[in-house]
Amino acid sequence: MEAELFLIRYLHVLSGIMWIGILWYFNFVQIPSMPKIPDEQKPAIGKVIAPEALFWFRWGAFFTVFFGLALAWRSGYMMDALMLKEPNIGIGMWLGLIMAFNVWFIIWPAQKIALGIVEADASEKPANARKAMLFSRTNTMLSIPMLASMISVQNPIM
Amino acid sequence: MGKILESLKLTIIAGVVLTVVMIFATNAIYDSQMSAPEAAAADIMNNM
Repeated sequence: MEAELFLIRYLHVLSGIMWIGILWYFNFVQIPSMPKIPDEQKPAIGKVIAPEALFWFRWGAFFTVFFGLALAWRSGYMMDALMLKEPNIGIGMWLGLIMAFNVWFIIWPAQKIALGIVEADASEKPANARKAMLFSRTNTMLSIPMLASMISVQNPIM
Repeated sequence: MGKILESLKLTIIAGVVLTVVMIFATNAIYDSQMSAPEAAAADIMNNM
């Protein structure tokens, strides 16, 4: 049981670093750098780097939630956390679930249109790029309390 | 909200503010779930 919980927690943290690392790469590096990149070099970001980063980003989000829920379930606190009877971890879990929902159901569909991965009218691209950016920023904002909530389980703040 | 999210600096500040709100909300939820004897014991511990 101890080894199993260790392995699940380890995979949860590894996936989480992949997910939040790429989220912060998008928001702290790629988005602010785009206006500084010459137009002829921009396809390297849009056609090569962003689709690859989005692949690891969305699957990182999926497996972070998968292993996080598995850890909560196998540790016996999943329902208490989701019902906020254990608010320290519960608030973090809900923030993580909202963020993962944003990744799979808002950011990824909008990015597929913005990057031309799926067929869409050219006029739809700017609106979808903005939508993806705003929800990505929302996730960056939520990642700060989410991570605080996760670590407060080990080191309570109040 | 859109104005805040368009700025990375304001996004980070909003995240920090949310974190502080979350800390107080977490504490309030814990307090609201305490039974009367637990609350009394917690008061004694806090005043020691």
